Amino acid sequence: MIAFAEWFIGLFQQGAQVFVGLLTGIIPLVIVLMTAVNALIALIGQERVDKLGEFAARPGWIYTPLRYIVLPFVAVFFLTNPMAYTMGRFLPERLKPAFYDAAVSYVHPPLGIFPHINPGELFVWLGIAQGVQAGYGDSTMINLAVRYLLIGLVVIFIRGIVTERITAYMWNPAEAEAESDHYASAY
Amino acid sequence: MRKFLETIGRGAGRVVGVLYQAGRDSVDQAIKNIIPFMAFIAFIIGIINGTGVGPAIANALRPLAGNVIGMIVLSLIVGLPVLSPLLGPGAVIAQIIGTLLGTTFFATRTLPASMALPALFAINPQVGCDFIPVGLALGEAEPYTVEVGVPAVLFSRMVTGPLAVILAWLASFGLS
Repeated sequence: MIAFAEWFIGLFQQGAQVFVGLLTGIIPLVIVLMTAVNALIALIGQERVDKLGEFAARPGWIYTPLRYIVLPFVAVFFLTNPMAYTMGRFLPERLKPAFYDAAVSYVHPPLGIFPHINPGELFVWLGIAQGVQAGYGDSTMINLAVRYLLIGLVVIFIRGIVTERITAYMWNPAEAEAESDHYASAY
Repeated sequence: MRKFLETIGRGAGRVVGVLYQAGRDSVDQAIKNIIPFMAFIAFIIGIINGTGVGPAIANALRPLAGNVIGMIVLSLIVGLPVLSPLLGPGAVIAQIIGTLLGTTFFATRTLPASMALPALFAINPQVGCDFIPVGLALGEAEPYTVEVGVPAVLFSRMVTGPLAVILAWLASFGLS
């Protein structure tokens, strides 16, 4: 009986130890980092971010890296999840799904270095990262964080282009026109 | 002189205000979003470590998460257009699978650290698939755009999900 009670409470003692480890090891860093970045964002202001959105909306292949790498990065960095997707409003309708795809796919890759982007889903990164930190040490975890951030950029670029192609394939100009007229006349 | 002092004073006041608000926002975030999830994760890890079911979980996950081919299959399954919107909300599934992998494979050094990079992409091809209509609406999209955009993104993930795992695997060489 007593042995069982000890074992039972031991389960939660293990959990409590992990919890304290997370609280002292990660929370202070995340809070200080988020404070610095939040202040920076507030001082820079949203108007400047909006300008980039207008610029990225230009047509042409040359602008695809701007649309699916730079704009999503800036959007998630400055506006964070979920407000980052509002940057889609600068783009023409048929590019909006591709931009959303690229932006939403970049709310996790930078979490190792910029946790302010999506603090509510920190463990998409941290679940694996704290295992890596425990098994292989701090510098390996930071190496992983940097690679995750960089490969994320390549992945969202490909996602943007693939989704743009698929959307273009499914897009029916007549239907799009008819619907927008329909909704315009409804007002 | 008075004007100068006033400018300095106002500037300093603004910066202090911004910093204070930034600090308040981050503490709020930590208390409302981060710490509750940490409690949940700590509980899961505690159970795994305390009961010693870690090796059993590792064995169960090994076919899908113990090697690159498995991870590609995992990303294909999670990225299926029928499943991805169901698995998306709050990224809870990705966070739990990630924690299981972290605790059983990487903390115990069962898998090399380099496998963590493809794993990060393999657990997450469904990111945002539950949120497409809302995300597009935030971008002021027309209803027709949503109608086309939802399947476009879902189908795109079937291709780009596994592709991301392969890219991450290629980029993981030398990670230690």
